[in-house]
Parts: sequence; structure tokens; C-alpha cells
Amino acid sequence: MTMDRRSVLGLGGMLAAGVLLAPGLRLVAAPEEATEASDKRRWAMLIDTNQCDPSCTSCMKACRVENNVPLFGDPKRDIHWIRKVELRPKDGKGPDRSLPMLCNHCENPPCVHVCPTQASFIRKDGLVLIDMHRCIGCRYCMIACPYKARSLVYNEPPESASHNRKVPRRAMGVVEKCTFCVHRLDEGGQPACVEACSNEGKGGMLFGDVNDPNSAISQKLHQVLSTTIRPDLGLKPRVHYQGI
Amino acid sequence: MLSEFSAIQGRSSGYWKLVALSSGVFLLGLGAFLAIEVRGHGITGMNNQVVWGLPHVFAITLLVMASGALNLGSMSTVFATIQFKQFTRFSAFLSIVLLIGGLTVLLLDLGRPDRMLLPMLYMNFRSMFTWNVFLYSGFMILCLLYLWSMFEYKQFTKVVGSTAFAWRVILTTGTGSIFGVIHARDVFYSAITGPMFVAVSLTSGTALSTLLLVGTYQQTKRHLDDKLVFGLRNALIFFTLLVGYLFVVEKFTKFYSPAFYEVETWLLTGPWAWLYWLGVWGGCVIFPLVILFHKRLGNTVKGVFIASIITVVGAFAFVGHNLLAGQAYPFDMFPGYQLSSVFLDGQDAHYLPSVVELVLGLGGIGLSALLFLLGIRFFRLLPAKAVPPPGWELPWSP
Repeated sequence: MTMDRRSVLGLGGMLAAGVLLAPGLRLVAAPEEATEASDKRRWAMLIDTNQCDPSCTSCMKACRVENNVPLFGDPKRDIHWIRKVELRPKDGKGPDRSLPMLCNHCENPPCVHVCPTQASFIRKDGLVLIDMHRCIGCRYCMIACPYKARSLVYNEPPESASHNRKVPRRAMGVVEKCTFCVHRLDEGGQPACVEACSNEGKGGMLFGDVNDPNSAISQKLHQVLSTTIRPDLGLKPRVHYQGI
Repeated sequence: MLSEFSAIQGRSSGYWKLVALSSGVFLLGLGAFLAIEVRGHGITGMNNQVVWGLPHVFAITLLVMASGALNLGSMSTVFATIQFKQFTRFSAFLSIVLLIGGLTVLLLDLGRPDRMLLPMLYMNFRSMFTWNVFLYSGFMILCLLYLWSMFEYKQFTKVVGSTAFAWRVILTTGTGSIFGVIHARDVFYSAITGPMFVAVSLTSGTALSTLLLVGTYQQTKRHLDDKLVFGLRNALIFFTLLVGYLFVVEKFTKFYSPAFYEVETWLLTGPWAWLYWLGVWGGCVIFPLVILFHKRLGNTVKGVFIASIITVVGAFAFVGHNLLAGQAYPFDMFPGYQLSSVFLDGQDAHYLPSVVELVLGLGGIGLSALLFLLGIRFFRLLPAKAVPPPGWELPWSP
């Protein structure tokens, strides 16, 4: 096989560019420890509904700011990663309840099962996330989720001056939901809703690693009577509720 | 003796008007798609409660009918119903064009249609959608092979036709299972949802075939023997009875369990009850049976034609009711509690389709119609004169 001078120069140029660019790419990559999820962790949340004030929406507000979740002014199409749900006993017996609802990051997530492109996936540490670049907007996950935790972006999101750059810009036509503030977890932090509840509310949200027996959430889950939503579905949700 | 197959001449102004009409509807559908693509699904009536709207109703009904359109082919090739052998080419071709129309609407209604090829690259074999990608593409290939074998290689017709028959049963079960496997939705979740879709495909496919055969032969002034239409009527009667039987079994099973009292009562008396009674029971079962069993009407081509129109409308109603009522029923996340929230928890979801959705859905019908019109003009799909084989008599009449 013979190669002409132009081919040799082209290949050489490409090789040189590759050699030069590769370290650069490595330099801009985030440190491995911060982004690599560990399969030894299992994030979970415990919500004490006795501590949840019906008039308090600090968790919702914090989530909107942290994750740039816009409000379009249309209740039917607004995006909600977390919402407050009011419960009133149908038979009138017993107290009303108020509690936050969000993605339950199930162990057996139906959204992941039905997603045709694997855009919905389970990360090593059990977080159920969406690859926004792979979602085709078929909405089957929204049909399958029993917690109504997902929203489709129906309209072009408005520009915001206070955009949190750690959260990717959302695109119209894809489905999204709560990530347990994955960007904060990867930096060793807590979800914004939990932090807000602790600072502005009564601290009714507890978050942590249930694989760590010494974590506060592990110990509390052993001490108190808690339940999950629709346990009959066998999804093994990781958001636990106390007081209902 | 069966007469020779021939394409229609397609020179009349009526033919070209139909071509222009179906092209226009298809182009309008494309326009609707572009409008949604540019401005988002915000211009549709869909919302975060009812995420699949009218385009899905059109798409899935077309797909159900695509499977059913193969009835005439299957009856002839698999069950040796010789009087319908002359319609096998038509049957396979109709399946293909309906499949194309339905899939086009389904793909164009995606939130990100520019990524429509991703399901081919990243497959999730636990998803019914992924299975359906294979089932639809496989069915299309089988129908093409079936058609090809009928034209060129008759020795393979039996094998390919029988495979296509088995495939279509699995295909429509798969379509129904898109809903049937969803445990979270009380209205959808049922093992019988798939078989109900199969039964509705049998009725709607037979009805649509009847409509197109009668229409084509009348418009082209060719002869279609009434006995053949009455043979289709008899098949339609039995398929319709099967649909009614499955509807009853489904409701009986659900009502037997107290856990389903609330949702089932809501379905029978709630905001979508009109569609259930009028569209699902009326359109799919009662009205067609009343006409088809009527001594006078049931024994006229006109009566069979009307019953077939109602059956096709009934199929749309069946899919529409499943889809829309199934999503409109609120999630019962906390049994025993009434829910309320800014995300409209605990409320019946409202859905009012927009014109743009309707046009997108109709665009799929326009595309199927256009392909059908071109097909009967350029291919020898139908016999010049459709008569029963010698010695064949209609076994019974109502």
C-alpha cells in the first residue's frame, strides 16, 4: 500500500491534534471522586408529615431556584419536581395532612422499565435520572409513573437572570423530574428541598444513605413507623413517609 | 373462476379529486406537525395529566386497523376461506398503508421527533415500545413479503401468510399491552386489554376492508358480488360478538373486586361515560349488531356499509376511551384520602383536543388514503370482477 503526501500530512495532522487535545480534555474534566457515583450508597428520604406545615412551601421554592424550574402560569402544564399535596380523609375522620411529593427514585422504577431509549436510567447509587439528550419525548414514562412525578416541557422555557449553571438548561419536548439534586450530592451536599425545610421549615425532611447503618436516616427508619406510597405496586420507593 | 387482477384506470375526475383531497389532508397534517415542532406541545390540548392525546388515538387506531386489515388475507391463506382469496393482495397492501399512516402520526407526535431513530440505537427490551418497534417493522416486512409472494412466488404464500397471521396477533396484543401492563393506571391494567385490542382489530379491519371494497368497486363501476359482501358481514357479526364477549368479561372481572368499584363506577357514570356507552358499546357492539341482524337492513349492501362505518368509528371510540379516560382518572396515591395540589392531584384531568392535534391525526389518515389510492392505480391488487368461486353459497343470513 502506498500513501501520497497529502494523506500522510492529513493523518499526521490528526494525530498531532489528538495528542494535543487529549490532555486538554482531561484538564477540563471534573475530578473523578466528585462525579463518580458509588454503588455502595443508596440515597433515600424520610418525610415526617407531622412536621409539614400546610402553609409552608419552602421546599418547592428552593427546588425551583436550585433547578431553574420555570412556571408557565398554566397549572395543567407547569413543571413540578416537588409539590405539596393536601390529604383530607374521605370519611371525615382523622386530621388533614400536608406533605411534599416528588420522584420516589424507586428500586424497581416503572419509568425506567418502559423507556424505549434507556433515557431514564438508574445510576449506580440508585438515583433514577433522565438523559435529556436521549429522551425522545414519547411520554410513556409519564404514563407509567404512579406518583405523577414527571413533567413534559410543553413550552420554550423563559430566560432567567438567576440561572443556576450547575443544572443543565432544559429543552422543549423532553420529560424531566426531580434528581434529588444530583449535582449537590456529587459535591457532598444535600438536596435543596431538604436544606430549605431545615432552614425555613420545621426540618421534617431527612435525607441520607440508607446503606450506611450509622446515617441519621438509617437509624430513624429503624426507630419510627414509616410507609411508602403505593407499596402494593412493588416498586420499592426510596421516599418514606412518617405520620400517615 | 376468479377473474384477472387489474389496476383501476384512475383517469376519472373523481379519482383525482380523492387524490387531491387525501394529499391536502396529509400536507395539512405535516403543517400541524411543523407547528407543534416549532412551538411545542403547548399548542396542543395535552398537558401533564393527559400526556397522550388525539394524535395517539388516531395513530393507535390506524395501527389496530392495520393488523385487522389482514383479515381477508388470513382468512384465505390460513383458514382456506376461498371466496376471499381474490382479496389477499388488497388485504396485505391495506395493512401496509394503514401501518405507514399510523406510525407516521405516532412518530410526528413525539416531543423530540428529531431523535426518532434513537430507539433503534439504544434498545430497552423491557419496554413495550421497543417490542412494538420490532413488531411493527417485522409486520411491515412480512406484509411486503406476503404481497411479493402473491405476485411472484406463489409457493411461499402459505408460509409467509401464516407467519404474518401469527405476527399480527402478537403485534396487536403488543399494542394493547402498551396500556395493559401499566400497573399504575387502574383503567389500563388488565391481562385482557391485549386480547380486546386483537378483537377490535378483527372488527375494524373487516369493516374498513368492506367499506373500501364496496366503495372502490362502486366508484370504478366494476362488479362486486353482493354475496361476498354478505360473507364479510357474517365474519363481522362473529368478530363483533367476540368484542362484546371480551367487554363483558373485562367488566365482570373488574367489578368482582371491591378494589375496582370506585374506578369502574367512574368509568360507567363519570365524565367519559358518554364515550363508553355511545362509542365503545354503541359503536363497537350494539349498533352494528342491530343493523347486521336486521332482517331487511342486514341483507342489503347499504346496511352492511353503514354498520361498517359505525364499527370503524367504534374502534376510534374504543382506543380513545381507553387512552383518554385511562389518563383522566386521577391516581389514587393515598387510598381513603381526597387529594388536592397545585399539580391538580386528586382531580379528574381535563383534556380538550386542539385543532392542530386533530389535523395531525387526520394527516395520518390522509397519508394512508393517498397511498391506497396510488396503490390500486399502479398495482394489480383487485380482481376486475369480484365473484364467489363456482359452487360457493353463503352459509347463512340473519
